Amino acid sequence: MMDVAVDTPVKTFIQVSEVWVPRDGRLVLAEGDYGTLDAFAEASRHASFAKGEGLPGKAWADQRPVVLKGFDGSYFKRIEAAAEAGLTSAVAIPVFDLDELKAVLVVLCGDDDNRTGAIEIWRESDDLLMLDDGYYGAAKHFEWISQHTHFPRGQGLPGAVWASLTPILMRDLGSGYRFIRADSAGKAGLTTGLGLPVPSPSGETCVLTLLSARGTPIARRFEIWDARPARVGKTGGAELIDGICAREGRLWDEDNPRKAAAWQGHIGRVLGTGLPLAERGGPGLVAGYDSIVALPVHLNGHLSHIVAWYC
Amino acid sequence: MKRKLVIIGAGMASGRALEHLLEADADGFDITLFNAEPRGNYNRIMLSPVLSGEKSYEEIVTHDADWYAAHGVTCRFGEKVLRVDRDRKVVVGENGEVPYDQLIFGTGSSAFIVPVPGHDLPGVVAFRDLEDTTAMTNASGTPGGRAVVIGGGLLGLEAAAALRMRGMEVTVLHIASHLMERQLDPAAGYLLKKDLERRGITVLLEASTKEIVGEGRAQQVNLADGTELPCDIVVMAVGIRPAVALAQDSGLDCGRAIKVDAQMRTSDPNVFAVGECVEFNGNLFGLVAPLYDQAKVLAATLTGAEATFAMKELSTKLKVTGCDLFSAGDFAEGDTREDIVFRDPGRGIYKRLVIEGDRLIGAVMYGDTADGNWFFGLIKDGTDISEMRETLIFGPAFQGGAPVDPMAAVAALPPEAEICGCNGVCKGTITQAIAGGATTLDDIRATTKASASCGTCTGLVEQVLAVTLGDDFVIPAAKGICGCTDLTHEDVRRLIKSQELKSQEAVWQELGWSTRNGCHVCRPAINFYLLADWPLDYKDDRQSRFVNERNHANIQKDGTYSVVPRMWGGVTTPDELRAIADAADKYNVPMVKVTGGQRIDLLGVSKDDLPAMWADLNDAGLVSGHAYSKGLRTVKTCVGSQFCRFGTQDSTGLGIRLEKILWGSWTPHKVKLGVSGCPRNCAEATCKDVGIICVDSGFEISVAGAAGMEVKETEPLAKVATEDEAVEYTTAFVQLYREHARYLDRPYKWVAKVGLDWVVDQIADAAARRALVDRFEISQSVYRTDPWAEHARPSERPAWQPLADLTLEAAE
Repeated sequence: MMDVAVDTPVKTFIQVSEVWVPRDGRLVLAEGDYGTLDAFAEASRHASFAKGEGLPGKAWADQRPVVLKGFDGSYFKRIEAAAEAGLTSAVAIPVFDLDELKAVLVVLCGDDDNRTGAIEIWRESDDLLMLDDGYYGAAKHFEWISQHTHFPRGQGLPGAVWASLTPILMRDLGSGYRFIRADSAGKAGLTTGLGLPVPSPSGETCVLTLLSARGTPIARRFEIWDARPARVGKTGGAELIDGICAREGRLWDEDNPRKAAAWQGHIGRVLGTGLPLAERGGPGLVAGYDSIVALPVHLNGHLSHIVAWYC
Repeated sequence: MKRKLVIIGAGMASGRALEHLLEADADGFDITLFNAEPRGNYNRIMLSPVLSGEKSYEEIVTHDADWYAAHGVTCRFGEKVLRVDRDRKVVVGENGEVPYDQLIFGTGSSAFIVPVPGHDLPGVVAFRDLEDTTAMTNASGTPGGRAVVIGGGLLGLEAAAALRMRGMEVTVLHIASHLMERQLDPAAGYLLKKDLERRGITVLLEASTKEIVGEGRAQQVNLADGTELPCDIVVMAVGIRPAVALAQDSGLDCGRAIKVDAQMRTSDPNVFAVGECVEFNGNLFGLVAPLYDQAKVLAATLTGAEATFAMKELSTKLKVTGCDLFSAGDFAEGDTREDIVFRDPGRGIYKRLVIEGDRLIGAVMYGDTADGNWFFGLIKDGTDISEMRETLIFGPAFQGGAPVDPMAAVAALPPEAEICGCNGVCKGTITQAIAGGATTLDDIRATTKASASCGTCTGLVEQVLAVTLGDDFVIPAAKGICGCTDLTHEDVRRLIKSQELKSQEAVWQELGWSTRNGCHVCRPAINFYLLADWPLDYKDDRQSRFVNERNHANIQKDGTYSVVPRMWGGVTTPDELRAIADAADKYNVPMVKVTGGQRIDLLGVSKDDLPAMWADLNDAGLVSGHAYSKGLRTVKTCVGSQFCRFGTQDSTGLGIRLEKILWGSWTPHKVKLGVSGCPRNCAEATCKDVGIICVDSGFEISVAGAAGMEVKETEPLAKVATEDEAVEYTTAFVQLYREHARYLDRPYKWVAKVGLDWVVDQIADAAARRALVDRFEISQSVYRTDPWAEHARPSERPAWQPLADLTLEAAE
């Protein structure tokens, strides 16, 4: 029997994922996955943010992803609730379709000393990608190495995403991958990397990478869906071009890719709305998983790709 | 009683055959599987994403140990087969014999290694198996590591992109003039090159590897043109050779590979072959689709079912993330074939369909491959496409009962469809502007900016106007260079400079040419514009020239040619005259004529005599007079102060000097000069393109004369005191003409268009003048050569034989 029980790690790197959408000039909560952190969920339900206000508002105003490590004394608005929930850091990722802000995805992490992983933001400077900021949890050495690494076009996960404007899933971060960083990634137990372009109305190049470790994975299942008309045709929908799963193994099939139609299932919902989603439980979730986060990439006025991760 | 089946080689083809066999008759065979690699079957074509890190080896394993065990296959992995004894029906492995009732060769292929010096150094790897992949992964772990990939085909480019992702500096060497020339046409090859360069990969085309050198390992690749490429690893990906040594030693009938019939049976009825080691009807196989077909046929044959292998059309995709290309069928040019081309420069999209009769026979697409499989189906099925010909390029979404009208495709575009890529203007914005009162192209440009930048969407904007306004809008007649483009000569010249377009393919794609590679009208013009603006980057394309320029001689009414050696300033010597006379005798020249340009024309030379005659004239120091070219023809002089009583300056010397500076340069049309030593003007300088009259105080330079269908006196450009200045002004004028004139405009026509005042202003500015001269010199560093010498080489001579297939030459 293939469908045997798989050890589910107790801890995941990301503890909270939430989607904020603009309404009447402010960002309001559309949905979120708070796990067991009910009080923080409740505090969030009543929050809203103007442009530039709080973490979601700052990502909106800055038009690029923002990392916030340590909430005390910062512009973060839900400090008390976060502290009670044990959340210490957050990353906000704005989703723009040309000039229009579609939503802001915020992920929050905590328990820094015991969780390893990385959420990084790479920005172009002098024709190189430099680390803008990142949250690494316990992977301190890897954080230091990353701060001193840069990627030319086409090199490494960030450089390859930058050059191809395509989300990319890399399997073996511990080998080859830009030398010293690979070595350190291997030592930190970082195995799988998901990189995706984050387009900005300013035209600035920005790449987001999620690096997942075995012990405290960002997710146990990753998917990349291609929704470009140049790939799927004018009828719309999306094709699963890459993916790995702790339960099913590889998810890609070169000859017969899985397909999703608009409004059908979770990926279909992202296709239809153009918005990210973060959901726990509910019907239609892939068997064996409790939650899904799906993040669309809009390029040149089209929804081009969707990346999704499941815990 | 189970039949004993032995399989040599656990590759993709034999693996698939095994699957089919076990499906059809799970208990019928006692199977032994040999593999030289110490592992079973894995999806070899997915090695590139393993190399890049985008897949893991575990993910590409097709059959693991459990699978073989579950199906009772005896695995002898890592063991080489030493020989096959067909008389005794045994396979002899390193660890002993195995008897067979039936035997399958699935020995696959090995990489072809170019036998250049140094090819056997450590650090030179192929890209065939996991060991090669691991070697490359290890090499990529060197900080600052550099890789040279020899071969710009599918495998080479996948390796290059993967090594780049691994962090290496990568250079791809490709012998042909565009990448993946077997699968792509030059336009798609251009886009692919651009895409790879955007990834930081260096691509060198027409690069011939001379040797690989290094101390104990490969450290540098040297090219035939002298380029040196230091490296840490060399990847040879130039092709494959079927692995047939064992089959040959076994006495099986082999050609380039193991010959099989349509049931995959070799010359021995108990021995079969499948995969890349197979030759069927003279064909070899490298792509996976026919191998899987063979596997199916083989399994059927072995289980007693009927099946026949047949050749099918193939399609190609490249596994480089973000590179979307598709090619299928036959896309060579031909008289009976018609191209349909669609380009979207803003989005980097190129699509070309090749139609013969009413059938689609080939398709190449880059950037948008969504309809690739639909086109592939039309090709495979031989579908009659006459009903959808007009809208075929738009794909299946526009087929199926829709009216056959190209305008319908525009009408069917949704409001958010982008029309103007430069300014991001969509159809809805344009229709809104029309609703707001815009009725002309200029109105749309003013209100939306659509078509206001590169202008390539002008046709589309006009179609939107026509669709929206109906009869109120009449699409203006095209004013473009030719039917291939709506852009004018002036637009194209400007865009070649501003967008830094340095190849014909770049022009066709980035300026949205509607044909695959231009036509007889635009190609010579584009060829000239490119070589004039980018002399060091662009290589003159002989096939884009008129026949006289291609053959470096003037064709005459009877099909013979005329040969005119250059006589610098109209001055010659007894030795030169003897050489000309000897050539006239040797090649039975029926007429020797003194020309109006002060030189000697040998008329009536047959084409096949041209190279030998040129070689003889070259030996006497004579070079081509370019009497056939859009370039400098002659500099006519009088004898000047050296002999003439009236001569004020050395007009002969100045003429010779000018001719030696200007010869060989290509210009929009022919250029003739005259230098007269005094105002009596014996050299008739005042009806030339540039005429210089020497006077006591210096030199009067005038330009833009004519003495052909039109007769026109030159107009004054400048008066200068020294001969050096006269040379500088003349050179600057010729370069200005080269940089700005429309192709086939003589200088007098060009000056009439831009105005003499503008020309005088440009030349009068000292800095601008010197810059023009400098740019001319850069160009002449390439073109100041004798074309006769090049074509008189023995290696070039066969091309001048009368039986040469000129249609083939043109196609190539």
